[in-house]
Amino acid sequence: MTPPDNARRNYAVLAVSIAVAAVFIYAAIDKIRDPLQFADSTAAFAILPAVFINLLALGLPPFEIACGVLLLAPPTRRIGALAVAVISVVFFTALASALLRGLTLDCGCFGVGAPSRPRMWLELALDVALFSAALFIYLRSITRLSARAP
Amino acid sequence: MSIVTPDSARLPQARGFGSQILRDLAGVALLAIASLAAGLVVNRFSLSPLPIVYQAPEQRFDAELTTLVAAAPFKIAPAATVGLEEFRSAVESKSALILDARPSVFFEQGHVPGALNLARDDFAHDYRDLAGVLQVAHDKPIIVYCSGGECHDSRLVANALLSLGFGNVSVFTGGWDAWSAAGLPASTGSGR
Repeated sequence: MTPPDNARRNYAVLAVSIAVAAVFIYAAIDKIRDPLQFADSTAAFAILPAVFINLLALGLPPFEIACGVLLLAPPTRRIGALAVAVISVVFFTALASALLRGLTLDCGCFGVGAPSRPRMWLELALDVALFSAALFIYLRSITRLSARAP
Repeated sequence: MSIVTPDSARLPQARGFGSQILRDLAGVALLAIASLAAGLVVNRFSLSPLPIVYQAPEQRFDAELTTLVAAAPFKIAPAATVGLEEFRSAVESKSALILDARPSVFFEQGHVPGALNLARDDFAHDYRDLAGVLQVAHDKPIIVYCSGGECHDSRLVANALLSLGFGNVSVFTGGWDAWSAAGLPASTGSGR
């Protein structure tokens, strides 16, 4: 790979990291503002037992903020990207299961909204995009790490 | 000319990737634990903290209703009261919604004709059951009674209804004792 190619890829990683971080931090702010609403949205999926719903509603926003912050700093970007990839798979699985069960709900991903299946499909697509972006950042970071290794 | 990496050279590199991914996954797990801890700490100092175990909206409403009728007797605000004659006239003309605040077992043994059971001791459940009737009668006068004498259930239920936005709620202080002592007609059963 030529040096200009490498620089272009580094800029691409930076741009994608900033975009994913912005999405995660934005999503977290709405959940922090109204944790009860997010807990109700989580309960609508009918996946988790009651004992885990509020723990998720309380723990997910700090996790999303941490993902965003870690993505912004080059030394921690790798962990942030892997965390985004993992949580995107979790979101995707939950949404896909709700769609397969015929549920129409508001996932609470980005604040309160009316329950809507088209929106659920859009959010499913967003999860795929976030997962792809996170995988790109992670693989790029891990490759650079191994290139630096003695 | 292309350089072909022998398999023996790729293997340690793949192992290196594998162990790096495992280390990173451990980092993600730690991040999740730290996030949960942070969330719990923030919740602890929040103005409206979430309980640890989730309650559905219906459960929260029930809890709120139960709180409304759980006030100690000395905290009960004085509600408007009606005497036996006024109460009797309202029952006979059906100009008011009559609510019996006694436990269902007493209601079933005997109650004022046309009265509905909104028991203080099962307020949330009965309130949900009667929600439709109460909604229709929102602007109608509501008169609540209990056993009579020193019973507080009618006042607690009346005040709960006032808190829930019902504007015209009063208490028949004589209660079931005064009604039955006057030899007035009675109904039995659940009334549903």
